[in-house]
Amino acid sequence: MGDSFSGDSVRKKAEFVAEVVNHTLHDLVIRCTKTEEVRNYYHVSVIGYGRNVSTCFSGPLAGRDMVPISDVADYPLQVKSSYKRVSDGAGSWVEIPVRYPVWIHPTADGKTPMCEALVRVKDILQRWLSEHPRGFPPTILHLTDGESSDGDPDEVGRQIMTLGTDDGPVLLFNCHISTRRSAKIEYPTEETSLPDGFARALFAISSTLPTNFLAAAAQLGVHAVEGSRGFVFNGDPSSIVQFYEIGTSLTGMTPYKWMDHTETS
Amino acid sequence: MSTAKQSATWDLQLRQLLLPKLDHDASECEDAIAFDLHTARFAVTDGATEAFHAQQWARNLAEHWVRNEATLTLEEFRNWVASEGRELHDSWKGLTLSWYSEEKARAGSFAAFVGVEIDLKTPSWKAIALGDACLLHCRDGALLKSLPLARSESFNSTPILVASNAALHESTMPSAMVDSGVCEDRDVLLLMSDAAASWCLQRFEIGDFEPEFLTTKVDEELRRFFDTERQAGRIRNDDLAIVRIEIKRRSN
Repeated sequence: MGDSFSGDSVRKKAEFVAEVVNHTLHDLVIRCTKTEEVRNYYHVSVIGYGRNVSTCFSGPLAGRDMVPISDVADYPLQVKSSYKRVSDGAGSWVEIPVRYPVWIHPTADGKTPMCEALVRVKDILQRWLSEHPRGFPPTILHLTDGESSDGDPDEVGRQIMTLGTDDGPVLLFNCHISTRRSAKIEYPTEETSLPDGFARALFAISSTLPTNFLAAAAQLGVHAVEGSRGFVFNGDPSSIVQFYEIGTSLTGMTPYKWMDHTETS
Repeated sequence: MSTAKQSATWDLQLRQLLLPKLDHDASECEDAIAFDLHTARFAVTDGATEAFHAQQWARNLAEHWVRNEATLTLEEFRNWVASEGRELHDSWKGLTLSWYSEEKARAGSFAAFVGVEIDLKTPSWKAIALGDACLLHCRDGALLKSLPLARSESFNSTPILVASNAALHESTMPSAMVDSGVCEDRDVLLLMSDAAASWCLQRFEIGDFEPEFLTTKVDEELRRFFDTERQAGRIRNDDLAIVRIEIKRRSN
């Protein structure tokens, strides 16, 4: 994650991913905010892997594997102030002050202990599922920029996909991002279109996109059809944004298109 | 009933029902009902749950609209909503808000709105609506007209609503609808928030709705009826606002 996207000489992948994750958390908080109260419609876990496998939260949330969204709302590491250009409704633009919370900072080091990370995810899920057997099934949005350095993730991936609640199975979605100028493959229905064994391995542990997620994909203009897996290979920056927007668009909620209209200074 | 638009020939009979979601307190209800006998105006609004101070916005729209004399053209309505929105946003100035509430406040509040003015001299009605709160005009048990939505399948989770933030009016206000109708003896006008309107239209579509039932039950029976319908999933578990207005020829 320490290198840059193809065609982007400035921004490193880790910086971009941290930005997307912070925006995603921001989006989830806003969805759950009712006037001055944040309702705990979600519990969130952010696990990073590289030199080690650990939760990415720090500060007041340090060490917490699973955090109710109200705590996420109340304990960002910092809240940055900026300006956003918005339409004034009369054909002109106005700048309004906005605040951007930050929960995670970019880090990029070490190898790719994917198996260890997925085992950690499985442990967290099992604890959460024992306490919430009737909850909406958890969704795992797994982002990686390379092949596993500690073995084949197939077994633990399949174990995760067998977990679930009364409401359905856990959903595991995978997004591989690449610095190469290779053709990206988004939400395929079959593995025959995939270029190599690594892609096929991730495809095998990617859940089929349920209908609600397909509707979210359609709203974003992303091609996904019945039978599409929650899987992206050789993704670019827009793939990552869409992957998180689709993956967090539970119960048919409209994706929050922050990339479409936000301009900051 | 005595109204400024009263007539020696025609009279109104009014029934209203406002219920919060199942297992919710009445204080949490984001639907609102208002009427003013002087202006002969009746309104139902439905605040968008996730919006900032939606209950306040819904109540302001309903209560202030019925006291008005104008606002029955699209232009008047738009100007009036902009003024109401400014007042609402001004009331939030000085509040100390978290970053997330601040963002919600900036986006503003949203509500569905339907308002009707009745002129008993004619007798007739004029209505304006934006969102999925509806006016249904019924005669002899049949549905003559429903606005702004006419079919039960037209309801969805993302209706265009009345926004407190005037910056959104360019895109939202063109969806506002103005309509009118002429009444006969015993015609019934129903104002309903979305869950009740959707259910009601569905019953009409299958030929199984009798507007009289809203008058034959006492309040407690009606509440139990709608609780049962919501528990059974035949009506979505949402706040319910229903106003029934019957136009009747006075008996001499």
